[in-house]
Amino acid sequence: MTSRAGRELLFALLLASWAMPAGAQTTKSVSIIPVQSLSFGLLLPGHRESVRTSDVSRRAVVALAGDDPVDVTLVLPTAMETPTGERIRLSFSAGDAALLTTSGGTISTLDPLQVNRVQFGNDRTVLFVLGGTAVTAATTRPGHYTARVALLVNRPGT
Amino acid sequence: MNRSLRIVAALGMLALPAAAQAQSITGSIAASADIATVFSFGAPSPLNFGSVVPGATATASGSIPLSRNVGVIYSLPDAANTGELTGPGPAITPTYTCGVGTTSSTIVNAFSSFNGAAAVLTLPSPTGTLTEYVIFNGSLSAAQTNTVPGTYSGTIRVTATAN
Repeated sequence: MTSRAGRELLFALLLASWAMPAGAQTTKSVSIIPVQSLSFGLLLPGHRESVRTSDVSRRAVVALAGDDPVDVTLVLPTAMETPTGERIRLSFSAGDAALLTTSGGTISTLDPLQVNRVQFGNDRTVLFVLGGTAVTAATTRPGHYTARVALLVNRPGT
Repeated sequence: MNRSLRIVAALGMLALPAAAQAQSITGSIAASADIATVFSFGAPSPLNFGSVVPGATATASGSIPLSRNVGVIYSLPDAANTGELTGPGPAITPTYTCGVGTTSSTIVNAFSSFNGAAAVLTLPSPTGTLTEYVIFNGSLSAAQTNTVPGTYSGTIRVTATAN
């Protein structure tokens, strides 16, 4: 390798090493911390059960921490399932999500079906809470049903 | 391509995934529910022979509802003594036929035996929650009723085990 080529490689490495820490800082600037699962509890067949965002013991809670605004998108499941594939229908509607302060005060009610812009306050942390409705059929079998809600957090415009 | 450009391009490709990764992060929320097992007896309808003329035959029917959404094993823990009637005279053991039906009047699935303590009827899980009736039809022969006057009573015990 010539000395010119060596300088070019060094320059390139500097560029690369500059970009990567910047990326690492961005990753650190937003974090998602699951606090509580969405738990419908014990249900009877043939009933409809809703968990509201005000239901502190059953709603899902996720702490979001960061500095700059982010867009939160949920990938919502249509059903909870048993390992053997039996299903309980799940539905979500506007008002089934909310943003709270860490002290529990409501910042805003959200529509979990939409992309929601989240602004961080002075303490850099907000609580994203989620409710929903489970609808069991008369034929729903006893058992433990589960699902996962994916939470995608993006910087606006990306 | 100039060598330096090639190097920068190559390193740029290495750096890009890190930058792209920084634009979004994902998390997940678990959701869960438990469907309860429904398995309970309702109020029984007593089997009552009523007032029987000595030396005459008599019949009676009784039932108890069971609501369930799982399979069931019925058994009679008192075995041969099930439904024995005791009173002022010798004990009377009526002849019983028993089984399960969707109404309280008609047996659809009969017990395999009435004298054994082992399981006498096993039914599978229904497609949903149902209420069925465990039915006991009893009969007294003329010889059995030709006995000491008085009130004779007993208990039919049936055990249902979720299966």
